[in-house]
Amino acid sequence: MVPWSFLYEDPLTQNIISWFLFFYGVALPIVIIIGVIGLKGFIEITRFEKGDTFLYKLNPVTKLVFGVIVMVVASTTIWWIGAILTLAILPLYLTLNNGVKKFLYVVLLVFSTIVGTAWAAAPYTPPSVLQLVFPDTSAYQTVWVWPSYFSFMGYEPTLTLQALIYGLQISFRVTATLVSALLLILTTTTSDIFRMFTKMKIPLPLTFSIMVGVRTVPKIFEILDTSVKMQLLRGLSYNKPRVFRVGYYFYAGLMAIVPAIVYLFRGAKTLAISADTRGFRAYPSRTSLVNLGFSRLDYIMFGIVLALIILDVLANMYGFGRTIPYEGL
Amino acid sequence: MTFNGIDGAVNEPGQLPWEIVVGYFAVAVVIVFIMGRKYGGLKALTTLDLVYIGIGGAFAMVWEFYIGSFIGRFLPSTPFVSVGFWGRLVIVFIVAGLVRKAGVGMLTLLIYDILGDLFHYGFGGEPVFMIYEALTYGLFVDLMIVFTQGKIFGIGYTPKEVDSPSSISTSRVNLLAVIEGAVVGALWAFPDPLFYDGFFGPFLYAYPVNWAKILFHIEAFLPGDIIMGIVGGILAYYIARAVGQ
Repeated sequence: MVPWSFLYEDPLTQNIISWFLFFYGVALPIVIIIGVIGLKGFIEITRFEKGDTFLYKLNPVTKLVFGVIVMVVASTTIWWIGAILTLAILPLYLTLNNGVKKFLYVVLLVFSTIVGTAWAAAPYTPPSVLQLVFPDTSAYQTVWVWPSYFSFMGYEPTLTLQALIYGLQISFRVTATLVSALLLILTTTTSDIFRMFTKMKIPLPLTFSIMVGVRTVPKIFEILDTSVKMQLLRGLSYNKPRVFRVGYYFYAGLMAIVPAIVYLFRGAKTLAISADTRGFRAYPSRTSLVNLGFSRLDYIMFGIVLALIILDVLANMYGFGRTIPYEGL
Repeated sequence: MTFNGIDGAVNEPGQLPWEIVVGYFAVAVVIVFIMGRKYGGLKALTTLDLVYIGIGGAFAMVWEFYIGSFIGRFLPSTPFVSVGFWGRLVIVFIVAGLVRKAGVGMLTLLIYDILGDLFHYGFGGEPVFMIYEALTYGLFVDLMIVFTQGKIFGIGYTPKEVDSPSSISTSRVNLLAVIEGAVVGALWAFPDPLFYDGFFGPFLYAYPVNWAKILFHIEAFLPGDIIMGIVGGILAYYIARAVGQ
């Protein structure tokens, strides 16, 4: 019995608090993303900026390998290894150009991902799945009982402490991958990624399209941001109560999507012409002045990668392998 | 034998037989190969087409992982509504309308997958997902392009009667956009329930196959995907005109 059980035994407080919890899980990540990170923040954490610390000096292949191995380790070991990896990688953002800002944005993104993912899993996880993680059903602690109509949204009748822990465990798998994947994009020039893909013998047209995509992602946020601001400047939400501002912001964002697509596609022609005039695809293979080599830093990084692989094997040998079941996910 | 929790289960009760899955992808690869030979493969795509594909892949990724997942939080979790997936569908249709060459569907899905991995997922489950998505969703779009001889969604279609008023031709083109959009949209409702719930899920994670769930998901995906297919077809037509194709 939990001390606050009287709260869900009374229908009035049960309804109020249940809806509060519902909006907490749904809205908190959104408030963080819109209000604090914002489109500006997304531009900041998806765009390359010049820098000279060690991450910028690494060969892109090294960073790609690192990202892949972090993902492999996080998805094949127990959840707290993923959590430790997330915490260990996060400070690396401080070494980047404009590091403190990027670090704060990424921390917020990680936090909202944790809240979002945990709440996206916990209320929906059926007891049959939970039993695979926590076999002793008698030890389950009911934290909250939802009103019966919540089952229409797919909610389980009760929320247990175990379901919440399970939700948290899942979220750490996502965050470790997220923080390591963004590092490559943030610290590597588009042309270096191009060179990396060319070296990996990926066909030139495919590489070109990927690079256009990589370049476009931060641009999309930038264009949406401009478009939203323009609409507000032109008087949208003017003289309206402040409470509705989030709604107008959201509306302006939706209205910006089709014009943004048209704008981007129209700009495509200029990019294509400039690539063509510089002889793109004139020859089947590409030549380059810059040779991507491996330096001492790369070898140190490979050492870390190797250590991660050993950690993975050891963890699996000692029973700290994957303990989160994926049934039904 | 299991490794890392992946059971590699085949021929479980109710599971789609692996022969069918392998057979489908083998046939798909043959079709792709024939299409590549006949229509020039990657070489047929101009630099401009590649730029369109790159931008489309990026937009689909941003939509599915940032904008769509954000909007989806406001809506109840039901298989009938999938904002992220619908956005990807519309964007891929628009790119197909702009490029209108066999291969655009598969390549856009491929770029979308790679960008999704770079920015969000990490390369887990690859190359399985890349192949799976390109050869299902992407291939369906490309087959429609081949079937309509490059005039998908009525773009570039001119009615035979020369003296027909332009309003008739416009409505006819719109009708083509609606029908073709609906057909490809309906096709997009099948791969996930069939291949994912029916094969990859049990294969990777050994969860039991539930055909009631698979059939229900197909029925639940169909209406939304058809409607968004129609919207995508019409949008593709107008955006292709706005961009100046």
